[in-house]
Amino acid sequence: MDHKMSRSPWVIHYDGSSCNGCDIEVLASLTPLFDAERFGVVNTGNPKHADIFLVTGSVNAQNLPVVRQIYNQMLEPKCVVACGICACSAAYSRCL
Amino acid sequence: MTLLYFLTLFPLVPALGMLLARGDRARDALGLVGSGIIMAVTVVVAVMFLARARRASRLPGTSHVLSIISSAIDVILCAVILYNAYKYRNALTTVLGIVQLVGSVAFAAMTLPAAEVVTATPLYLDYMSVIMVLAVGIVGSLICIYALGYMKDFQAHDEHEAALRGQTAPDRRPQFLALMFLFLSAMFVIVTSDNLEWLFCGWEITTVCSFLMIGYTRTPEAIKNAFTQIILNMLGGIAFLAGLMYLHLNELPMTITGMVDLSGAGTAQSALLVMPVLLLSLAALTKAAQMPFHTWLLGAMVAPTPTSALLHSSTMVKAGVFLMVKLSPLYAIYPVTGFMVTSVGAIAFLLAALMAISQSNAKRVLAYSTISNLGLISACLGVGAPEAVWAAIFLILFHTVAKSLLFLCVGTAEHHIGSRNIEDMDGMFSRMPHLTRLMMLGIMGMFVAPFGMLVSKWGALVAFAQTGNVLMIMVLAFGSAATFYFWGKWLAKLSGVDPTAQNVEVNVHKTEWMALNTIAALLILCCVAFPVISSGLVPPYLAMVFGRVPYVIGKDSMYLMVVIVAFIAVVLLTSFRVSNKPHVNVYLSGVGTDKYRHFRGSMGHEVKAEKRNWYSEDALGEKRIGPAGSVVCCSIILFALLCCAWIGPERLAMSAPSVLRGKYFEGSGVVGIFIGTVAFALIAPLVGGLIDGIDRKLSARMQGRVGPRLLQPFYDVAKLLRKAPASVNTMDDTYMACALIFTVVGGGIFVSGSNTLLCAFMVTLAAIFVVLASASTQSPFAQVGADRELLQVMSYEPAVLLMSVGLYLATDSFDSIAVTGQSAPIIVYSAPIFLALLAVLTIKLRKSPFDLSYSHHAHQEIVQGVATEMSGGTLAKMTLMHWCETVLFLMWVGMFFVWDNPVSWVVALVVMAATYFVEVLIDNTFARSTWRSCFKLGWGVALVFGLLNLMPILVDVFI
Repeated sequence: MDHKMSRSPWVIHYDGSSCNGCDIEVLASLTPLFDAERFGVVNTGNPKHADIFLVTGSVNAQNLPVVRQIYNQMLEPKCVVACGICACSAAYSRCL
Repeated sequence: MTLLYFLTLFPLVPALGMLLARGDRARDALGLVGSGIIMAVTVVVAVMFLARARRASRLPGTSHVLSIISSAIDVILCAVILYNAYKYRNALTTVLGIVQLVGSVAFAAMTLPAAEVVTATPLYLDYMSVIMVLAVGIVGSLICIYALGYMKDFQAHDEHEAALRGQTAPDRRPQFLALMFLFLSAMFVIVTSDNLEWLFCGWEITTVCSFLMIGYTRTPEAIKNAFTQIILNMLGGIAFLAGLMYLHLNELPMTITGMVDLSGAGTAQSALLVMPVLLLSLAALTKAAQMPFHTWLLGAMVAPTPTSALLHSSTMVKAGVFLMVKLSPLYAIYPVTGFMVTSVGAIAFLLAALMAISQSNAKRVLAYSTISNLGLISACLGVGAPEAVWAAIFLILFHTVAKSLLFLCVGTAEHHIGSRNIEDMDGMFSRMPHLTRLMMLGIMGMFVAPFGMLVSKWGALVAFAQTGNVLMIMVLAFGSAATFYFWGKWLAKLSGVDPTAQNVEVNVHKTEWMALNTIAALLILCCVAFPVISSGLVPPYLAMVFGRVPYVIGKDSMYLMVVIVAFIAVVLLTSFRVSNKPHVNVYLSGVGTDKYRHFRGSMGHEVKAEKRNWYSEDALGEKRIGPAGSVVCCSIILFALLCCAWIGPERLAMSAPSVLRGKYFEGSGVVGIFIGTVAFALIAPLVGGLIDGIDRKLSARMQGRVGPRLLQPFYDVAKLLRKAPASVNTMDDTYMACALIFTVVGGGIFVSGSNTLLCAFMVTLAAIFVVLASASTQSPFAQVGADRELLQVMSYEPAVLLMSVGLYLATDSFDSIAVTGQSAPIIVYSAPIFLALLAVLTIKLRKSPFDLSYSHHAHQEIVQGVATEMSGGTLAKMTLMHWCETVLFLMWVGMFFVWDNPVSWVVALVVMAATYFVEVLIDNTFARSTWRSCFKLGWGVALVFGLLNLMPILVDVFI
């Protein structure tokens, strides 16, 4: 993403399946207390508007279609951020 | 002109032919040729009249023979009524039929021996008659052509149903088609007869014809409704007859022109006219389906669609208002009659519009809208001033064309989608592409800004303001808002694009297309020819009758509207918008399936997402409002009748107190508006974006945050414009572009100092296109947003119209430039209206407590309601539009503080800044409220403050 894009990052946030810890942290960081809006961050909740797809929790067979659909409905240029160890490497669910 | 006789008699030829012809082919040929000849003769008559440009052409008459014929026809009609009343054992109809029969015979016995009294002018033509002849001849004939194809489907459907029950359906189509042509003939008699006796003859023919046509299917419901129609219209007929007898017994003239001529005399003899005028108006009100007689029009819906189209649009109801147009000069002279017509019309206009909101049956919505519009026409006519009659004539003309188009479209749609319920019209835009576009054109023709109907309403508003008719201004403001809502939600429903739909309009009959396309072309033609009609046809008539030509709408505004109509027609009807953006599905929370509007539910099933319209049956249901309206209207009519009976006619014949206001500004002309628009387009987005930035910064500070950079809104839009293109359908981006354009034009109109009403209409037009953009996506989230957007517009509309009226009160002009010529700011005169505007500003600026259209229950503001499916460039356009709107609305506020002093501009800027600060404060203080409180606030403040501000004028007239 170039400079002009980075001045207005709009986020859509999706929680796969997890202990909801990351989920809570992400939402907390987007509250007015931390004022992410300083950097132009907006929590849109709508893939048609968002630039950044923030995934927390592990992605599994159950929610893979949902993640795929949301991703497909976002417009280019877009990027996906996996947040937390569950989303990055499936974490403890791999051990089961 | 022998042609006139030919015109009135010729429709009888195809009528007879229909009865004799056997087989569809023969009937089709007969119908097409017959209608073609009627249309051609109509045009020839009109052209010859206009070419000679005579004030009125009259024929010396063989009227004694005609009077005998008309009396004979009256008696025959009574016999038909009595026969049917006997056949179906209807007591009330029998009684009324006998009364009318006795009346007709007695009247004939009175008048026929004294032939010299009756030998006035036979058939004649003046400008008003030409307009009506054109409307009846062209639109009526097209409806006949339409009926040829439609009745085939209707009969096939009937036979199918009958076969299921093991019966055969009788084919009554010949009689039906014959009645339609007979109807046209009767209408020609009505609009070209100066002699009231003949007019009455045509009047009764239409009553009986419509009785037979409503009862066409012979089902119990149809027969019941047909009798409702005949009973109510016979009441009117008897009133008409009583009026004629009164005229004869008091040796008053039996012609309309005679009555108008006599009324100017001011003698004891002329004072006697008050009673017949009242009775004739009563007859006209029944024919025009005003409250309390409106039920017959609703019942007429059971008939095949061509009947409804014929009754509602071009003929039956128009006969009523036509008579009132002719009588309108008398209403100013006999105020009690004018009072009755105006009040009944105003009540019908407002209440029928409200009741239309609660209806989901398309034909019933159309019926209520007809009652409502005829109410407005009557209200205008009752005022009896040329300004108001000007508006009424245009309302008649445009209503005829737009409403017939809508009826015919609904009829065809009903045969192909199997329902006339608006809720079943989801995705119509794809299922019947061409038909739906015509239907949308018709709906826009009924209520959207540059089309004729709204321009006529604008004229009505100006007329009421000029004549100081305060209560009517209020009625018009609220009635228009209700009208906006019920049309808007239907339009939104139609616009839905369903990519998976099958095209079901391939089987529509050629004759149906022929009629539909021609009427649609006629609608556009009428709108485009508006300046010509308003200078060539209507003013000569008004000059002839009233002796002066009113000035209602400036030429430049008209030209501007013509351009916009043409633009909308191109957008809607051509396919230039086809975009090659990649298609994406609508957002359904990530669980949508490939099927249209389906998602995977939590139990693993496929579920369809549906959205139903908002009807508010509990508050606006017909059972609640209808009886109340009827009671009030009955009391008004009784009051007027008692006045006539008890108070001496001399004391009733005083001219209505009225003060004519108005300095006619022309605004800054088309060139000025163009320059203003360009300037606004360049500056408003910059200023608006900056205001948005300040807004965000200010909100953050109020919440104890730092907030985004000042230029963040520009960064956002810049990013949106650089996103990859994608859209859910090919229409939404086009609609959004239109919305942006219209907002900018509205701003341009305002900054160039032109008409503020036109400016307000442009903003409303933009709102309609936003609604279309979001409803066309067929996303449930967006549709809820669209519905709420409509609600918001309905809530603030009255206050915005009143803003223009407030400007008018202070400056006697609707042009915004007028404030600069004032010695004091207009806030001095219109403080309450300013307060009302401030109150609805929160709704208009989409600030927190009333920011409904951007939110949704499930997702709160996160998916952004109307904007759910908008992405990239489309969303950027919407943002730009909001910026422009913010600037424009703040300028409206500032307008109240400008006067002919340079310092005032600074004052205005300070007030604008303070207002915006307050809005931000409100936005951050109150939680989102419900649509009910939004609606109550919007209408409440407009009503209370509006009346408060306008009351002095009402009193002023009498001082």
